[in-house]
Amino acid sequence: MSDWGWVTFGYVVVYGGVVAYGASLLWRTKVARRKLKARG
Amino acid sequence: MSSLSTQMAAVTRRDLERERRTGEVLWITIPFGAIALILVPMAVGADVPLLRQIGPGLYWVVVMLFGVLIAVRRTSMETPAQRDLLALLGIDPAAVFGGRAMASGLMLLVFELIVGAVAVLFYDIDLSGWPWLLLVLPLAAAGLAALGTIAGSIATNATVGPALIPLIVAPLAVPLLLAASEIVEGLRTDTGILRWLLLMVIVDLVLCIAGVVTARPLQETQ
Amino acid sequence: MTDASSDAKTLRWLDLAAAGALLVALGFALFSPPDVIQGDLTRMMYIHVPTILVAYGAFAVTTVATIGYLITKSLKWDTIAASSAEVGVVFLGLAIATGMIWGKPVWGVWWTWDARLTTTAIMFFIYLGYLGLRRSIPDPVARAQRSAILGIVAVVQIPIVHFSVQWWNALHQAPTILRPGDPQIDSPLLGALLVGLFAFAIVYVWLLVRRVQLANLDAELEARDAAPDVPMAGEAVSAPDLSDGGAVS
Repeated sequence: MSDWGWVTFGYVVVYGGVVAYGASLLWRTKVARRKLKARG
Repeated sequence: MSSLSTQMAAVTRRDLERERRTGEVLWITIPFGAIALILVPMAVGADVPLLRQIGPGLYWVVVMLFGVLIAVRRTSMETPAQRDLLALLGIDPAAVFGGRAMASGLMLLVFELIVGAVAVLFYDIDLSGWPWLLLVLPLAAAGLAALGTIAGSIATNATVGPALIPLIVAPLAVPLLLAASEIVEGLRTDTGILRWLLLMVIVDLVLCIAGVVTARPLQETQ
Repeated sequence: MTDASSDAKTLRWLDLAAAGALLVALGFALFSPPDVIQGDLTRMMYIHVPTILVAYGAFAVTTVATIGYLITKSLKWDTIAASSAEVGVVFLGLAIATGMIWGKPVWGVWWTWDARLTTTAIMFFIYLGYLGLRRSIPDPVARAQRSAILGIVAVVQIPIVHFSVQWWNALHQAPTILRPGDPQIDSPLLGALLVGLFAFAIVYVWLLVRRVQLANLDAELEARDAAPDVPMAGEAVSAPDLSDGGAVS
């Protein structure tokens, strides 16, 4: 694999990982808020 | 109020009594460790020089990973009712920790000796400098027992505990593992082992202090 | 509770700041000049070094928060400790992954047993155990207390692990490798690295804040689940109803 190939792989892993984790937090927060509202 | 050491001795005796009745360590945990050692040559090849080289390290890995099961069994056998009883009897939680760790340590020592014999026999391990092992085996057992007892007191969930405790103990036991392996290797190649012995002593002290200091706060959460 | 909408607005800004920081860092990383020795592979440094430093920082925050909990017994500190540990584990995993992805083309192997890498891998499992322990304890106070104990034991043990691994490493001489990240860095590369560090620090704060928020919401949900509409014991005893609807007494 070329150097840029490795770099792309690495960046996808890191940026993708950060974005995925952050997005999951935001989504779970939304779900929790919805549940709380439902419970009144 | 009886002294701390009397209380500790009583707890140790109780744990050892339980083991005498169930025979779990002697008849189950030790054979498990032995068979682990026997499986490896089947997987890596029965090349004697190779086995002689990896034998000591592999032995210590088995001690660390399987020996911790001894400390786990001890504590997972203690129901909340039994814990309450100990508290009501006014037994100092530090003595409970010390007693349990002592019992686990003694049983670990037996584990080390028997599984060690298996290792020497099946891996043709060079035992030069063996008198030093009389110091190393108890030091390893003490550290692992203390660590396992602490882990057993914080991870009391009956469903997940037996799996969680080895996970908690294994990375924290690395200094003991390294020291023990390097000492055996050092004895064989006649290089310095004192710094590793010192490390084991320090680790054991740190863990025992941690166990004693955390004993009372832990009891209050149970 | 504090003004929910102003909280939400601040958090929106934080979301945007994190996204912006990531984009800026990406730009710097992709457009900085390649290194003389490692060529374009140096760009791995701009994500490897920040992720590992953020991970270490996160665990430092966990330690401080754990001590904070032990002193004040306030669960707020425990929440911060646990949230930071989780974010730390994520970043540590990313750091180890980037280390491998960087190492394979540079050294030819995915992993070397040098002291820093090995200690980092061990730390990963220690904090994984910490998170696993927390999941196994439903009661918030017991959970806080026991993870605090594990946290302190871990923090005391980690330097010992580090030194023992270093000694071990020195004995079994690992080949002296060109360590990625041990350079005399030229200024454009240093610039990209610093931007990366700053950006990931912002990202850490964002993730920590969001994780703490989630933890607080979950705690509230649990509290409401634990206290459903069960009549209080006191309700069984109430003042007699003396009004008899106008009947003659």
